[in-house]
Amino acid sequence: MRVRNVIVALVAILTLMSAGYAFQRRSFFEEDEANIPLPPDASEKTEYTFARLRYPSFRGGAQYWSSRGNWTVDYPKADRQFVQGVRRLSRIHTKSVEQVVDLQTDDLFNYPWIYVVEPGHWDLPDDQAAKLREYLLRGGFLMTDDFHGTFEWDIFTASMSRVFPDRPIVDIDNKDAVFHVLYDLDERFQVPGIIMFYTGRTYEYDGVEGKWRGIYDDKGRLMVAVCHNMDLGDAWEWADHPQYPEKYASLAYRVGINYIIYAMTH
Amino acid sequence: MFEFLFKYPGSVFRKGDWVLLGSWPAWALFLCIVAGAAALAFTAWRQRGRTAGRVHGWRLAALWALQAAMLAVVLTMLWQPAITIASLKPQQNIVAVVLDDSKSMGLNEDGSTRRDKVLNALNGGLLENLATKFQVRLFRFSGGLERIEKLDVIKSEGNATRVGDNLAQVAAESATLPIGAIVLFSDGADNTGGVDLETVNALRRQRIPVHTVGVGREKFAKDIEVADVQTSPRTLADSRLAAAVTLRQRGYTDQKARITVKSENATLHSQDITLKAEGTMQTETVTFNAGAAGVKNLQVSVEPLQGEENPNNNRVSRLVNVENRKPRILYIEGEPKWEFKFIRRAMEEDRTLQLASMLRTTQNKIYRQGIATPTELETGFPSKVDELFSYEAIIIGGVEAGYFTQTQVELLKQFVDRRGGGLLFLAGRGGLSEGGWHRSPLAELMPVTLPDRKGTFHRDPAYVELTAAGRDSLICRLEENPDKNMERWKKLPFLADYQEAGAPKAGAVVLVDAQVAGRKMPLLVTQNYGRGRVAVMATQGTWRWQMTQPLADKSHEMFWQQLLRWVVQDTPGHLVAMTPKPVLADDSKVVLRAEVRDRNYLPAVDTKVMANIIGPGGAAEQVELLPDPVTPGTFVSEWRAEKPGAYVAEMVAKKGEEEQGRDVLNFRREDGVAENFGAEQNKELLQKLAMETGGRYYPVNALGKLPEEISYSEAGITIRETKDLWNMPAIFLLLLLLRGSEWLLRRRWGVV
Repeated sequence: MRVRNVIVALVAILTLMSAGYAFQRRSFFEEDEANIPLPPDASEKTEYTFARLRYPSFRGGAQYWSSRGNWTVDYPKADRQFVQGVRRLSRIHTKSVEQVVDLQTDDLFNYPWIYVVEPGHWDLPDDQAAKLREYLLRGGFLMTDDFHGTFEWDIFTASMSRVFPDRPIVDIDNKDAVFHVLYDLDERFQVPGIIMFYTGRTYEYDGVEGKWRGIYDDKGRLMVAVCHNMDLGDAWEWADHPQYPEKYASLAYRVGINYIIYAMTH
Repeated sequence: MFEFLFKYPGSVFRKGDWVLLGSWPAWALFLCIVAGAAALAFTAWRQRGRTAGRVHGWRLAALWALQAAMLAVVLTMLWQPAITIASLKPQQNIVAVVLDDSKSMGLNEDGSTRRDKVLNALNGGLLENLATKFQVRLFRFSGGLERIEKLDVIKSEGNATRVGDNLAQVAAESATLPIGAIVLFSDGADNTGGVDLETVNALRRQRIPVHTVGVGREKFAKDIEVADVQTSPRTLADSRLAAAVTLRQRGYTDQKARITVKSENATLHSQDITLKAEGTMQTETVTFNAGAAGVKNLQVSVEPLQGEENPNNNRVSRLVNVENRKPRILYIEGEPKWEFKFIRRAMEEDRTLQLASMLRTTQNKIYRQGIATPTELETGFPSKVDELFSYEAIIIGGVEAGYFTQTQVELLKQFVDRRGGGLLFLAGRGGLSEGGWHRSPLAELMPVTLPDRKGTFHRDPAYVELTAAGRDSLICRLEENPDKNMERWKKLPFLADYQEAGAPKAGAVVLVDAQVAGRKMPLLVTQNYGRGRVAVMATQGTWRWQMTQPLADKSHEMFWQQLLRWVVQDTPGHLVAMTPKPVLADDSKVVLRAEVRDRNYLPAVDTKVMANIIGPGGAAEQVELLPDPVTPGTFVSEWRAEKPGAYVAEMVAKKGEEEQGRDVLNFRREDGVAENFGAEQNKELLQKLAMETGGRYYPVNALGKLPEEISYSEAGITIRETKDLWNMPAIFLLLLLLRGSEWLLRRRWGVV
């Protein structure tokens, strides 16, 4: 009898919780996983395609981190919303849908610009690090985004040091062409993710200050653009949301477009 | 035998004039022959009945023909036929014996040198024989002519064989001397281009026969010779350079040989070849990197083969000026694209070319790269002649024709036609027909007839294939070896896209085809237009060659560097200094030429062009070049490089005090090499020279009739001789033959 009462009580509690959950507003986090239909021109052949890198996540001893971050964050809404901006604001012939690429096949080399989200959770094995190095030295461009604080930085650099053991990650100078190739971006600020709606802060963990960093090749050309302590992907994804501040979305678009045009000119 | 039958040597009949000494006119002879023949015919006709039918038809005609011929011969003899001919007065005329004293006469053949064969012939009685009839003057020649007293000074050490120049000099002496004939002993291995028409005409005017005596083998048994090397006299630093090496060989058909290109003892290239059929000219193209800036004395040689008779003709040198200039190229692109990025990256690897680019990133913004000053291209694509003409090549990417103003289009046309610049059109959504270029005035410049429709640009894979012309082109040379190069092109990754470029125009050269679903279409097409060059590259997808091949593979960089070097390399400056022969092989005469253009690249007038020539040892000389009356803007001068060695001529054009242009020309005089080439006896030259001057060609071992032949000449002091012909034994034999034939026929037919 007691067992039955306990079961009934549990079922009742679960039912109430489910009902309550169902009546709540959908969260930002859930919406980006919504099933977005393909645009009608998704099959158009274009010059530029937003290529998102799929990578193995970090699992080493910290289940919290491994359960949270992965390559699909903001996918695919951020990608598709961003390329709409690229189409509207530049002459780049842009595909309306993203392309997922990885470091296990050579298809990567057909996309000279790739985006990686949450690299604070990636864990590149040596062979994939070598392929990424080859990709970048041949002329490919990598934009990294949405990783925060010291801990994620360390995980990011652990893999990146396997890609380029001998190339430092440096702050990008304000005068660098990447900040002027289309938009003059001398005045930049930290672009927060949607977490600010929960925490009321523009930063996450100890990543108080947005960092614009990069890795250069031997001829001084930027190969890897590192957006640390920022979440441009969220800004693209929620640019259409009335609650997301326009100034962050605007900067995120401008930075993203500058990175693409830089990659197509350098 | 001839002289026994005809009483006189053949030359009397060739050179003499035929006359009839009889007092009756020639037409009377003709009438008599006709009348006599008619009478004989009538008689034969009347007598045909008496032969009981045995002689009729063709038999009758044959007998009549023999009788008529006999009558004609007899009548002709009655008119006293003779030949009148001019002959030299004994001991009053000079015979010039001109001996080739060049190095090639020292070649040893069949146990003795050519020189020895000549001297043996002269000392074996010929000179003595000549001396009984004429005054003999001996000359020797190689580069110049020299009178000699004795034959023992002939050493075969001369560095050149100038037959024409030296014969002209001998002919010039005839103005004061009674030269009756010239006897030329030579192998005919002239290395100044043969005997010019002017010299032949001078000899003919003075009626001096040149009797040529040929010595030396007409064909070597075993020899390989570098007959010619053609290469560009100037190029840009680090450029790939091609040299067309022409070989001729005897006795080594199908054998392997090795061509080597060296500069200052450093080997630039080495290539094995298979020798083709004997006697034919075989041309092989070798390519190599020209290296750093500076004047390069290229030594192109074929390694001597076993048993070669003349290994000294296996090497030639050519001068190449590897220029230190850094030509500027302007690249305008209509939208951001990967090709743009990777072309720029390829150019960043090139230390010589400078690429300034303007890219339309948005509808209203242009991103400039590679600019020399902040104001360069600030107002967009150049609209002024001096601004546009400051570039040496233009690349028009995917930009619509309508983007350019009428003025800019006209300037672009003049950029190619007048300025001599290079123009390269690329494919794209706004390129070629998609951009309306087929209706632009610039369509005339293009090497293809663009399709008159849209939908020509396809973002689909296309494979590349070299054409036959592409195989030989420096633009497409990714490997030095032509076969390996073909293989490498076959292995190139597919292009990301292609564009239908239409049909190539007449005179255009298709270097690369695109293969799409089994269909071929021109991909890279070039042609010259006016003073410049135009090319169409109907893709914007070669970037895959860079991204999808290993980092170490340089196909993409090499291709674009070589294509852009072709586009820009021959773009002239305001002054272009040139000479037809940068290497003077045992020659001193150098022709200096300058093409001068004003600020707008129109032929310069009222200009003074000076050449400051610095020769071996630092000796300097100023030479003024004079306007060529035929070609406006061209200035010419002839100069003598008196010493062997390297020369530098810096030419400067000035209009008043204003400098219009300047250029540097390098040339080099090399002595002791010309005689090594073309050393086989040039019998054709000697025969032709003799025939055109009224002389005769003799082999050196058959000179028996030479003294008598020389006697009949119209040059010098002559007398006119009349030689009767009626008493020639041949006439008597002919009469016997005619009469005997008739008698035999009558016997046979029974009508005696």
